[in-house]
Amino acid sequence: MITWFWIFSIIYIGLLIFASTRTFKKDRSIDDFMLAGSNIGALLGVLTYAAALFSAFIFMGMPDFFRVHGVGAWIFLAVSDGAMFFFIFWFGYYLRNKAKTVGFKGMSGMLSTIYGTKWAGYIVFIGAFIFLTPYVAIQIRGISIFFNAIFPALLPTWGWALIIVMIMLAYGIIGGLKAIVFSDAIQAFLLLIVLWIIGYNCVKYFGSVNNLFDQVEIVDNKLLSIPGPQGLFTVQFLLATFISILLLPASQPQFSTRIVVMKSMKETYRMAAGLTVVATLVFVATAFIGMYGAVKYTTASTRDFISNTLLFDQSNALAALAIVGLFAAVLSTSNAQVFALGSEFRSLIKGDDKSVLLKTRVALALFTVIVLIFSVMMSDELVLLARVSFTGTSMIAPIILVGILSKKQPGKELILASAIALFVFLFSLSEYIPDEVGGVRIDLALHGFLALVILLSLSIRSIKSQINS
Amino acid sequence: MGVVFLSIITFTPLVIPKYTYLPELFGLPYTLWMGMLLSLCFTILIFIGIRVHPGATKNENNS
Repeated sequence: MITWFWIFSIIYIGLLIFASTRTFKKDRSIDDFMLAGSNIGALLGVLTYAAALFSAFIFMGMPDFFRVHGVGAWIFLAVSDGAMFFFIFWFGYYLRNKAKTVGFKGMSGMLSTIYGTKWAGYIVFIGAFIFLTPYVAIQIRGISIFFNAIFPALLPTWGWALIIVMIMLAYGIIGGLKAIVFSDAIQAFLLLIVLWIIGYNCVKYFGSVNNLFDQVEIVDNKLLSIPGPQGLFTVQFLLATFISILLLPASQPQFSTRIVVMKSMKETYRMAAGLTVVATLVFVATAFIGMYGAVKYTTASTRDFISNTLLFDQSNALAALAIVGLFAAVLSTSNAQVFALGSEFRSLIKGDDKSVLLKTRVALALFTVIVLIFSVMMSDELVLLARVSFTGTSMIAPIILVGILSKKQPGKELILASAIALFVFLFSLSEYIPDEVGGVRIDLALHGFLALVILLSLSIRSIKSQINS
Repeated sequence: MGVVFLSIITFTPLVIPKYTYLPELFGLPYTLWMGMLLSLCFTILIFIGIRVHPGATKNENNS
């Protein structure tokens, strides 16, 4: 396996270098660097969006989620993602139109202009920073621990984390968004191939899909329905997750940026359609891998399940490709998120192109160091931390949604409401505030609160303008 | 409207009945194949949207 690992690693790194040299231009503008010249086609769009979305969380977390919590995981993520891809289609139209009229450097900067106050931008940036940083860190940590378990003699856990972060830093700072988009494309392609071959092998092991699910039924028939063996998939949990994931194109800057940098509206729509197909293929494979694990590795730890299923039960070449695929998945998703934070930072600062580019690169380096520190310190719960990241950033989605959709300047009370929701959610995670209000999950209650504030704000402003006119 | 309808029924016992995995389809338990059917419906709606949405026919270009 080691020989195959080095062969695939060299090919992968060669492709990364090829992509960065192809995209590198000495005299490029800051928009070329941060927004890839806003010239991304549908196929590249599908692959880069998929890579930004499908991180190690999909590779390692989702099969384990199916294994432990059962088929409700499909509703948890696949159905939510399906709705989210439609949201790209709908929201993308308004976002791109607004970006054309107001100008787009990053969501934070654009909202500062729309609301007429820097506070709108600050709250979006703070939300993204608070919830993206630990998510990036947990992925790097997860993969570093995994690599350390496979190659114990080669490097310590922090050594793997350092390598990932150094490549990420060099690639992002030198190559810019276009290089990241190309590395995303390589990752998404790898992810699809590896997941499908392993998924196919998992079904083949049992002879057929029928036999696979018959065996799952024997092991624990609670895996075949909701709420699952541990009772996680309640309607409230699934609904709150659905809302958080649905809002991702608005709430997380790496996704909104990818919508804006598409070549045209038509290409954006094609991207949304392509994503539904790619996502379904990915989720089918993860479901089969998870169900295989439910039968074969019923009581194993996550790490043992993943290393056995993805590596030791596969041929040496496929196992090596899976390791490189995992590395690529972490690298591109982390890169996308850290780079998005850099874009948001850039959109909030002023100055000439040269000084803004320099400050942005310094900020990117700083974010990367923070991620590295977090990755060494954190504990591991990949899927649930990903969910916290989605939910946390969804608290700032109302400012973004109303800002993009409304023709007039929206009310500043929305900024305050989003800030309150963001910090209440944060305090509930730290257990300073209960995680339920009157039997309703706090995240769901906060979504309801934000919807109510939006409704009131828009109604009162509409009545006021009618009275004034 | 179609998307709103699909989103609402997702959280009803029609798609996620508690502790029920029958009837099966091609060996898949009920919630899984219903979930897959919903994903397929979202895909179809997007493809229909591409044909009818005004943005798709607009000859807009960023570059």
